[in-house]
Amino acid sequence: MKDKQEYIIEVKNAKKIYRMGKERITAVDDVSFFIKKGEFCCLYGASGSGKSTLLNLMAGIEKLTSGQIMIKGRNIHRMSEKGLAKFRQNTLGFVFQSYNLLNSMTALENVELPLVFKHIRIKKRRKLAREMLNNVGLGDRLKHKPTEMSGGQQQRVGIARAFVSNPEIVFADEPTGNLDSKTSMEVMDIIKNMAKANNQTIVMVTHDQNLTKYADRIIHIFDGKIEEIIDLSKADEDESLIETDMMPVEQT
Amino acid sequence: MRISDLLRMGIRSLFRRKIRTLLTVLGVVIGCLFIIITISIGHGMDRSFETQVKEYGSLTTITVRNYGIIYDDDGNWAGSREQKLDENLLKQIEALDHVRAVTPVLNAYVQLVSGKYQSGVNVMAMKKEVFEDFEFPELSFGEYPTDEDSSTIIFGYYMPWEFYEEYGRGSKQVDLQKDSIIFKFNPWQYRRNERKREFTLPLRNIAKMEETNSEFDYNIYMDLEYFKKIYLQYCNTLTLEDRKKAVKVLDEYEQIKLNVDNIDNVAEVQDKIRDLGFQSESLLQYLQPTIDASKTLQLIFFFLGAVSMFVSSISIANTMVMSIYERTKEIGVMKVLGCVVKDIRSLFLFEAGMIGFIGGVAGVGISFLASYLINKYGQPIFGALMSGGAPMGDVPGATYSIIPLYLPLLGLGISVGVGLLSGYFPARRATKISAIEAMRTEN
Repeated sequence: MKDKQEYIIEVKNAKKIYRMGKERITAVDDVSFFIKKGEFCCLYGASGSGKSTLLNLMAGIEKLTSGQIMIKGRNIHRMSEKGLAKFRQNTLGFVFQSYNLLNSMTALENVELPLVFKHIRIKKRRKLAREMLNNVGLGDRLKHKPTEMSGGQQQRVGIARAFVSNPEIVFADEPTGNLDSKTSMEVMDIIKNMAKANNQTIVMVTHDQNLTKYADRIIHIFDGKIEEIIDLSKADEDESLIETDMMPVEQT
Repeated sequence: MRISDLLRMGIRSLFRRKIRTLLTVLGVVIGCLFIIITISIGHGMDRSFETQVKEYGSLTTITVRNYGIIYDDDGNWAGSREQKLDENLLKQIEALDHVRAVTPVLNAYVQLVSGKYQSGVNVMAMKKEVFEDFEFPELSFGEYPTDEDSSTIIFGYYMPWEFYEEYGRGSKQVDLQKDSIIFKFNPWQYRRNERKREFTLPLRNIAKMEETNSEFDYNIYMDLEYFKKIYLQYCNTLTLEDRKKAVKVLDEYEQIKLNVDNIDNVAEVQDKIRDLGFQSESLLQYLQPTIDASKTLQLIFFFLGAVSMFVSSISIANTMVMSIYERTKEIGVMKVLGCVVKDIRSLFLFEAGMIGFIGGVAGVGISFLASYLINKYGQPIFGALMSGGAPMGDVPGATYSIIPLYLPLLGLGISVGVGLLSGYFPARRATKISAIEAMRTEN
């Protein structure tokens, strides 16, 4: 908080209220936190805790009810639709739980897609996409359609797509939610390694406690509120904290 | 997105649903075909109408006769009455708007004699100055009367038919250029002064018209002034009593013919002549029902074409709505990945336009084929449909469908336009889809 430049994402008093008929459901309730550049941040919580909503708010996919979210110093909820689209092209990457690949396209074309929107010439983007798929270990599956691939392979295509335009921030919404534990670990390693290699910021939503060990910072969400924030990067040297994982810490 | 990417993605999604695309395209093909064929038949009708009219004479000519036929409101013959056509009326008509040329017409039955053979013909004397205005045909030999020499007598293509012996059965074809021919006025009408020699005029200055398939073919024409001159000479050979009667004929004309500057003004001029108190006739008057009928027919055709285009536009819109519905999730994903709204709209507009374009191209292709088939085999249907009379009916190689150069472009333009128009609202809907909602839908 001393040096604002350090924080790539700033969430201030973010609030999201859904109206379901006459009922009002507060999904995200006055949440504030910061994420540093290059950090691996994990939004951890049970299902229905509002963590996915928070992620969507941070990505500008959903509208805030009140508060503000700044990414790279820009208030993303004040941007025009076009401005936000351009911002997503250049700064954000997405990995989804259900992969969200376009079934009509091959793996290569799926990975190319963000570059298509960025008006990048076909030769260049083919090359970038191919490299990316090689990096995730799918160099031999370029021409396969998503329906011809396993879940783990599909998610690796999804990761390649998220990272292909070299975004500063990658949002991952339960990236391993549909995968078995072995594949989950593989996928997480890929994400972690890629982010480390390019000093990219990862914001991941998960309900799986095992995955929190990949994070530098864990934000524990409960009922739309922050239960606790655990900064593991500062406690790196203190192994015991990782072991005792969810020791209650003073809420900020 | 780049145009090339737009193209690639659009074509890909069209190919993904081949049958549906094909059926939608088919609708456009039918609409486009209908419109092109309709207009082409319209052109064919115009063409056949023009040729037909040329056979009857000029459409811009109005004739006022010395007996006016009276029609009732339904256009039935209701009687006739005498009309006095004199110099005064001629001046009044000349003063009317839109009248390009006026001439009085004198008719005379004359005898042509060649040796012992003779032939009766009808002479029409008109002012030589207006021959051109009334579209007198080309001459196969001789020249039209001039100011220097107005004595030319012009024979219609079929004139004279044949020469017969006066009291015998023999007949012969006379060669106008070789045989000597003598011109006489009708000898039975007035009594000749016995003391004077019969009026005869050896014909030296003869011209002959080309075939026109119109009334020109069956008359003999000469300059009015020259006619008056020889007629007065002829009158001098008559008895005193008949001479007066005969000379009086020159004061009143049999017909007044006038030419109007534009076909659209014929009815107006006829109305004005009626206001002067005279009945007149024009070819247009008889052809008007045919023109109206063919216009109505074209209107009906065009209406059908428009309806089928409308139906196909509904089908395009339906296809696009379905396509967007199916791809809701895709649209959501694309939006989250940073696709700008404009690109999504262009993508769907391109697809819709492409359906129109493919349909248009196929429609144009098929319409050329259809046009060919109509011209080749359509005679029984279209021959009857087009001409009020027989002339067109059995003309070999008649064209019923003409496709001018602009028509394929028009058809294509309409098809693409209909595609874009009917794709516009679905495309707009696609852009309005919320990304988060879209991603939640399951395909």
